[in-house]
Amino acid sequence: MTRYIIRRIISVIPTLIGVTFVIFMFQRLIPGDPAIAMLGEHATDESIERIREQLGLNRPLFLDRDALAEGDVDGFFDSQYFNYMGRLSRLDLGDSIHRRIPVLETLKLRFPATVELSLLSMIIAVMIGIPVGIISASRRNSLIDSISMVGSLVGVSMPIFWLGLMEIMLFAVILQWLPAGARLSTGFEIEGITHLYLVDSLITGNWAGFKDSLSHIILPAVALATIPMGIIARMTRSSMLDVLQEDYIRTARAKGLGGRLVLYRHALKNAALPVVTIIGLQAGTLLAGAVLTETIFSWPGIGRWVYDAILGRDYPIVQGGTLLIALVFVGVNLIVDILYALLDPRIRYK
Amino acid sequence: MAQINPEEFTVTDFAVREHRSLWGDAWGRLISSNTARLGMFIVILFVFSATFSHYFWEYEPKKDLDYSLKLKAPNLVVTEEIPSIHPFGTDKLGRDIFRRVVHGGWNSLRVGIVAVGISLAFGGVIGLLTGFYETVIMTTVERIVLFGITGFLLGMLSAWISNQLIQLLVFTLLGLAAGYFKDFLEGKLSRVGIFGLLGALGSATPALFMGTSVALVCGILGLLSGVLLSMALDGRFFSNVMMRIMDMILSFPGYLLAIAIVAFLGPGLGKGMIAIGVVGIPVYARLTRSAVLSVVHKEYILAAQSVGESHGRIIFRHITPNILSPIIVQTTMGLANAILSAAALGFLGLGAIPPEPEWGAMLGDSYRYLTSGAWWAVLYPGLAIMLSVLGFNLLGDGLRDALDPKLRT
Repeated sequence: MTRYIIRRIISVIPTLIGVTFVIFMFQRLIPGDPAIAMLGEHATDESIERIREQLGLNRPLFLDRDALAEGDVDGFFDSQYFNYMGRLSRLDLGDSIHRRIPVLETLKLRFPATVELSLLSMIIAVMIGIPVGIISASRRNSLIDSISMVGSLVGVSMPIFWLGLMEIMLFAVILQWLPAGARLSTGFEIEGITHLYLVDSLITGNWAGFKDSLSHIILPAVALATIPMGIIARMTRSSMLDVLQEDYIRTARAKGLGGRLVLYRHALKNAALPVVTIIGLQAGTLLAGAVLTETIFSWPGIGRWVYDAILGRDYPIVQGGTLLIALVFVGVNLIVDILYALLDPRIRYK
Repeated sequence: MAQINPEEFTVTDFAVREHRSLWGDAWGRLISSNTARLGMFIVILFVFSATFSHYFWEYEPKKDLDYSLKLKAPNLVVTEEIPSIHPFGTDKLGRDIFRRVVHGGWNSLRVGIVAVGISLAFGGVIGLLTGFYETVIMTTVERIVLFGITGFLLGMLSAWISNQLIQLLVFTLLGLAAGYFKDFLEGKLSRVGIFGLLGALGSATPALFMGTSVALVCGILGLLSGVLLSMALDGRFFSNVMMRIMDMILSFPGYLLAIAIVAFLGPGLGKGMIAIGVVGIPVYARLTRSAVLSVVHKEYILAAQSVGESHGRIIFRHITPNILSPIIVQTTMGLANAILSAAALGFLGLGAIPPEPEWGAMLGDSYRYLTSGAWWAVLYPGLAIMLSVLGFNLLGDGLRDALDPKLRT
């Protein structure tokens, strides 16, 4: 098992190098000059040149072949890419161009917001999706099965930004039950321990804060949960149906075990594997930043922030944000793979 | 005495059954499913309305503007205040939303088809090649080509560093030689040494003209490339490299990658198609590869090989037809996904350029008016997105059940 985990972790390294490379390329290839973005359109050529030198943008992208031709091997590697890799290895993500704040600091503030939102969505999706899938599978081809399967397909087909808008219209504009955006109402403050407001307010016993943050998170969480919910329900159903055809289920039934016991003790356990995988993959996708949901609900998370930075040419944010997103994504996939091997010994020996 | 007339008897031959092809069979199963029929109905409705309106119902988005009808609620009868009928209401520029939704379908479907076409074309070919050569041993010619291409790619770096095109030739030749003399000293350390030395010398000698340090760097690169080329590169190596590249694309969340690509290319419907298509390539590559791997061990492939059919013929005549069903299903569902992604890009202002009607862009245009009660401007474009996506998903689901009865659940 340890050998499998080590092999799996090593296999991630080329992917990570590739990811940093792609991020670097995007950052340079997006049209527009960071120096001009920093100084504004009316900057003089001189000051632009100075900033470019400060940022190291006057160096070649990868390797300096002219320096090498002059015999300068150090200069050969003094390029934007190698300097960028050097900074990354020191965890230096640079400062935001527009706000002049270290990217890492904003990242620490914004990432928990995304984590909180996506975790709650996943909880909602799992709590509804799995039971729906089980019920559909156990009453195959019944009315309830058809309704829930068409329903879950509607969930999969849902443009979540539209669903979010409809939620806002119904609950925030017409009924006025829930707020339409942000993480907290003005005037509320929650002591930061984990920076997950729901958890923090519970720890500190801040009931009013808990209720307020819950009322803010519930709409975006439901919107974000729709697609994973549909996917999980469908996966649970098909996986359960596969397992229910197995001989050992028939044996269990023949022994006279009750329907419910067979369903939960024998079938569900064996059907769980693909469902766990799909939950992991979906969690990775959600954690990677729900750009649209965060946009609609003005949720101060990662996705929205990176999107704004791409449009505003704030390169250090684009770089730091996408890097974190890709890391989380790769990390979650890695964990899912390892979990899979833990649950199913056959995988390890391949 | 009754007379027996043989012509009165009609003979029914029970043994001869009506001939039904695989596809005919699948069609029968598809058409007998309620959900698949519903999906097909929705898809046909959207395809028909989009095509029909595009060709027969003129619409000029640039001239469509009427401030006197700004943000009017849906009306089905003509009144004095609103002289025209707007079943879906009007938007912030007084444009009829019904008309724009119907015309927007053309753009959305186009994006879906082109994007899936891109993903399928690249992903499918990558999947076919990797899946096939991962298990089937390459012929000499194919091996030489693979080695030659590898050599060429390896040579690009040294050619650039030394600013000498001849390096490309050197490395390609080295690759071709390594491919041609595959059995020469196979598995021996001296093979590694010989090719390493050849690479180092071949690369460093022309680079000497550019200076000693250039020659040094090129020599090291040549040595490494030579060592790599001396090893027995095969289809598995090729497949591994391609799949790692696919993994890399997959390790970016789809939306973000699409946004980044559009940011790089600039906004517009065409650029959106490319972005969504590129993001989808790995999905099709992996699917095709696994489908190929599942058939490549079958007896009919072995039979085709043993009668000496060429690899290209085996791939196109024997493998492709047998892996079509998962690909058809994925393509249908992929269309749904592409429409959804296109709408998302449009919503963020990265898809169609206004005033061009596109569902996502229409939503992005009008959602700020939601708080002032203009629900119709948001409801209908969103419904159109959801229904069309649902239609393709239902159809895809039905196709999966119809094409692969084993998976039927």
